[in-house]
Amino acid sequence: MDLAYTPEQQDFRAEVRAWMETNVPKEPLVTLEREDGYHQHVEWERKLASGNWGMVTWPEAYGGRGLDLIQWLIFEEEYYRAGAPLRVNQNGIFLLGPTVMEFGTDEQKARFLTPMAKGEVIWAQAWSEPNAGSDMAAITSKAIRDGDHYVISGQKTWSSRASFADWGFGLFRTDPESKRHKGLSFILFDLNAPGVTRRPIRQLHGDPGFAELFFDEVRVPVANRIAGEGEGWNVAMATAGFERGLMLRSPARFQAAAERLVRLFRQHEAKAAPAVREQVMQAWMDAQAYAYNTYAVASKIMAGGHIGAEASLNKIFWSELDRAAHRTAMQILGASAELRRLDGGTLNMWLEGYIFSLSGPIYAGSNEIQRNIIAERLLGLPR
Amino acid sequence: MDFTITEDQATLTQGVRDYLAGVHTPEVLRALDASDSRRSPDVWQGLVEMGLPGLLVPEAEGGLGLSLLDAVLIAAEFGRAGVAEPLAETALVAAPLLAKAGGQEALLTAIAAGEAKVALQHPVNPWVADLDAASHILSVKDGALLLAERSGGAELIDSVDPLRRLYAPVAAAGTAVGSADALLDHAALIAAAQLVGVADAMLEQATDYTKNRSQFGQPIGSFQAVKHHLATAVVKIEFAKPVIQRAAIALQENAASAPVHISHAKLAAADAAWAMSETAIQTHGAMGYTYEVDLHFWMKRAWALAGAWGDRAFHLARIDAAVIGGALPIGPGHSFA
Repeated sequence: MDLAYTPEQQDFRAEVRAWMETNVPKEPLVTLEREDGYHQHVEWERKLASGNWGMVTWPEAYGGRGLDLIQWLIFEEEYYRAGAPLRVNQNGIFLLGPTVMEFGTDEQKARFLTPMAKGEVIWAQAWSEPNAGSDMAAITSKAIRDGDHYVISGQKTWSSRASFADWGFGLFRTDPESKRHKGLSFILFDLNAPGVTRRPIRQLHGDPGFAELFFDEVRVPVANRIAGEGEGWNVAMATAGFERGLMLRSPARFQAAAERLVRLFRQHEAKAAPAVREQVMQAWMDAQAYAYNTYAVASKIMAGGHIGAEASLNKIFWSELDRAAHRTAMQILGASAELRRLDGGTLNMWLEGYIFSLSGPIYAGSNEIQRNIIAERLLGLPR
Repeated sequence: MDFTITEDQATLTQGVRDYLAGVHTPEVLRALDASDSRRSPDVWQGLVEMGLPGLLVPEAEGGLGLSLLDAVLIAAEFGRAGVAEPLAETALVAAPLLAKAGGQEALLTAIAAGEAKVALQHPVNPWVADLDAASHILSVKDGALLLAERSGGAELIDSVDPLRRLYAPVAAAGTAVGSADALLDHAALIAAAQLVGVADAMLEQATDYTKNRSQFGQPIGSFQAVKHHLATAVVKIEFAKPVIQRAAIALQENAASAPVHISHAKLAAADAAWAMSETAIQTHGAMGYTYEVDLHFWMKRAWALAGAWGDRAFHLARIDAAVIGGALPIGPGHSFA
């Protein structure tokens, strides 16, 4: 164990910091859950790509820098330190990207990864269906083989980014006779293909952050299937592992929130309830603990290890610490917490953040599902 | 930057775990509980034969010269086994402090040989553990750490932990060997590390129990309510571990921020162990409320260690001064400040 950064890592940090200081928008962007904000965030993705910062861990051949996970953590720290915008392409770069890297053919890697890293194609996820939420193996949307195409029919829902994004990925039943985890395939599709209808859904905050997707005999090339026909469940589980485990929520995000929370508390210290003081400290401690754990996981993976069911521990920890930190901020704000805009007309980001934090324990596999996984796979309790 | 323990460290830790699981069994704990002194020369001798007292004693004095990171990994194993003998205090706290102080070669040699035991007296604790069994005592006066041979009688005070032997403090005296704060930080770190081991032991007992106890025709561990209790406890335990390791490195490197990280470690470990104790008794049902099930040894150790070497208020105050007070840089990019 060596918890010091090497000179090269320090140089890298300085390089990221300098670029971010010059390029991060001075004014916060409109939320990416709205059409105008979405396009602002896509512009930002392209600016990042212009600096070759799209996805630093990917090979150079696919628009990355070929860096390791510690450098990725450093990048993320500087990214959040600079207050840079949220990643509108997170479903692509953090979830689908690693999946394509692991399971895709060379042709698929070249076709999908580079435009993803460059922000040219923005991705939506399409996991859930009206009757397949936590129970994802209940998926019924079909993809029926017709020559070198699949014909997709069915419905997906809670599809993040799908209101405005370009492409989507999800699981479809390629064997119509199959049940549960079998007969599913992992397929990528153009959201603008004939037969795809998007119905934006207003989220808790009022903006259309996700959508329902209706597929009416949508023709998708077989070449858009990742891994073998019928192997979709295992691919999806790997994707979910990336989501829960390491990449989706880097610790810097929560360290930044904890730092802002400490500053907010200092401003309101005189009237804050005693318990709130402790909650503020807990927010800092939990964000730090999450950072240490993430460095430990990254180090383990770099040493040849892998992350399995432990990913479920991470998902519970970050989602619950995020909700607690934002709840604490709401309590500090007191009567002002309900205001959409605070003094000077700026958006009440604590309110926005609290609303978003409520989705954390639900998406990427609800925390109840994660607790089942921990109990059954880590502790060996019977199903 | 590398946040992993080495294969050697993992092997050593596993070796200590396996050894203690073989010789320091719940039967031993029950036998100690049934004895007057709650201590056993045979048990102590077993620990000595494994070389445990000398782990952090420098090699020149007959020890292994291990680091504080090794110490927290080993301390967790002491906690897991419910070790009652005054081993952690002597081997994992006193030994590194005396090695750092210098000039204590004879005492360190005696510690490694299992012939000397050091009691730790600090004003943060109202009581002193295992004072009667100690050959030496580290105590505190005006912020300085003093070393003396122990003499005189000791007044026993009853702890809920049947294997904990507490005594009223004695007058501080002796040769200066360092600072009071160094004792506190080392001991708080080791207490935190023991607490996660205590928590892991309770988790294992609760998990085993729920796999084997059937109601409504199936193991109670198949019920979601039970699973979720245990899973919640696991999250707390697993996220305390890297905090302890990070604190050990900070102390090892004499980082100015080490006290904050040690307080964080102590709070995280105590919270995890305390929560685990309540989860464990709940999942054991009425069996958990008996003296017959071994769980109570670990539950009581968790309560005791949670308050020892700085209670919740003490460690929160240190976090408060650093984080809200602003002495510590925080935010992204300050993971290892």
